[in-house]
Amino acid sequence: MHGQNKQLLYDFTDIPQSLMVNPAADVDFKWYGGILGLSGISLQAGSSGVSAYDLLADDGLNINDKVRDRLLNGMTISDELSGNSQVEILNSGWRRKHPDYFYSLGVYNESDAIGYWFKDYAILAFDGNADSFRRFNLGHLKTRGSIVNVYHFGVKKRVNDKLLIGGRAKIYSGILDFNSTRNKGFLQNTEGQNNVISTTLDADLEMRTSGLNVLRDADSEDIGSVFTKRALFGGDLGLGLDLGFTKYFNDQTVLTASMLDLGFIYHSSDTKNWTLKGKATSEGVEIILPGALADPDADFYQQLIDDIEALAPFEENFKNYITFRPTKLNASLRHNFGKQIQVGEDCDCGPYASQSKRAPRFANAVGAQIYAINRPRGPQTALTAFYLRRFGNVAALKATYTVDKFSATNIGLGLNLQAGPINLYFMADNLLSYRNLYNSRYASFQLGLNIISWGKK
Amino acid sequence: MKHLFKYFFLGIFALVTISSCVENIDSDQFDDLELTPTLEGGLLYIEASEQLINLVTDNTVFSNTFNFDAFNSDVFAERVIEGTVTFVVENTTSKELDITVEFLDDSGAVLDTEAFTIQPAPTSILQREIVYGPTGRSIDIITNLSSIRVSAINLGDTTSTSSAPEPMITLKSGGKFTVRVK
Repeated sequence: MHGQNKQLLYDFTDIPQSLMVNPAADVDFKWYGGILGLSGISLQAGSSGVSAYDLLADDGLNINDKVRDRLLNGMTISDELSGNSQVEILNSGWRRKHPDYFYSLGVYNESDAIGYWFKDYAILAFDGNADSFRRFNLGHLKTRGSIVNVYHFGVKKRVNDKLLIGGRAKIYSGILDFNSTRNKGFLQNTEGQNNVISTTLDADLEMRTSGLNVLRDADSEDIGSVFTKRALFGGDLGLGLDLGFTKYFNDQTVLTASMLDLGFIYHSSDTKNWTLKGKATSEGVEIILPGALADPDADFYQQLIDDIEALAPFEENFKNYITFRPTKLNASLRHNFGKQIQVGEDCDCGPYASQSKRAPRFANAVGAQIYAINRPRGPQTALTAFYLRRFGNVAALKATYTVDKFSATNIGLGLNLQAGPINLYFMADNLLSYRNLYNSRYASFQLGLNIISWGKK
Repeated sequence: MKHLFKYFFLGIFALVTISSCVENIDSDQFDDLELTPTLEGGLLYIEASEQLINLVTDNTVFSNTFNFDAFNSDVFAERVIEGTVTFVVENTTSKELDITVEFLDDSGAVLDTEAFTIQPAPTSILQREIVYGPTGRSIDIITNLSSIRVSAINLGDTTSTSSAPEPMITLKSGGKFTVRVK
């Protein structure tokens, strides 16, 4: 899902949260602490098919015509509606006496959901199946979503003056999950063998949920405590891992890469699943005389319903299940240039400190990034070109141009401000779409507030 | 060069700030969105062989009532707008037959009747489409339908046999109904 791409934050090492997208990000702090609840907030939403403006513009066109043209005929099953939010509850990091190691830990809450365009279901709902032998593909239903608390601890190690490696262990505390991603089957009318029309349902559909019922059934007063309990390891549990590296070919050329959320959640609490599996063909109530009259009390209609339900039963179960987290890959190639900057104040940990192995910082950097995420319909990628400009030690700006399935004109801007120990950052992308927000197919912003120390000389 | 970068970023900020706006949308349009699919499926199929017809000495070959509750459930009855029921009667026997289809409500009262007189083979297929709703018969016939009575009367003899393979009388029927989902 594009909604988890943080191309502005990635490799923006002036910001502590860059460690969250690459555990080997070359941050140079002695320690940092996020302001509780404010250290990292990100909201992202995207629709690759249509915007709200496409459908609801006050343009005098009939809404039904617009839906037909732009949704039914305009969108494909690869188009998606997705959203993601992350709120850091706690985040801090510190360098121990040994300057080659940096540790970080924290907790954040993440909500995300994705739904692909369920084209054949929409056609069925809009037009129905009459006068058509169309095979409605039931596999067009693909959706998933979750709310999860993530507890994490990361270590970054400077292997030598050219290489940093990092890892982050994660424990997921699942609060809510729903997914229906492996559906197959079809619904089709054909010419009947006996009757005028034959209808075949061949379905292998499943919707799995966890936490839905306990939250739905909770009173409005209790919902907070239920949510909190599940967020504090009282719901589903999982494990995950982030890995990354930063490789300096020289002071000016840097390669970075990270793999995030290589992990799973085992859903074992408050699970409730629904399935529709089987194949049934019906031409309506069939009565073959005289045999059908052998039982004068026979109810052929009910028998038909019973037969269909037996052949393609709609069932409920409470089985536990595993979901894999959407694993993300990031990589960047950066070229630094311009004036070298001495980082921090009263610093003894930067490139100018005694016995430092750190690479110097430059006022400018340009480069390219690639992002990929594993999604229900296969990997999705985004390409980004960026320019980073530092203004002394007080400000830094990063501008990005990103191409992905949502937009080919996605320009983003991130601003990092450093006032003494106070660090504030704000980022937003797809800025050109701000000309008309309703017409935007993608919007995101991130902000955060931290306290940073570079230590005393 | 330093000033150039400052102006570059200031320019982007200014551009975004000045151009950020929203054009009017009319979210009330959603109220006008109509979801009215037309659903089609088979309804009832009956067949009776010529052998059976010849065995019945009374000229009423059969007259039976079959439960059919597909349309009177609330989920359908409250949403159906209009529809068409198609009957296809085919006779490959050697007899002329009268076929009568009656729609009954749950008290057994007749809501609608459709009668077919069909000639012996080989000119023996009748197709009829009955429209229900604003341009046809009352849709209430459909929403109150609880059972279907089908009767067949032999207007010919009980001795002859058609030369067609497996001679029989068949009644096929299908329905197309438009329902308002939204």
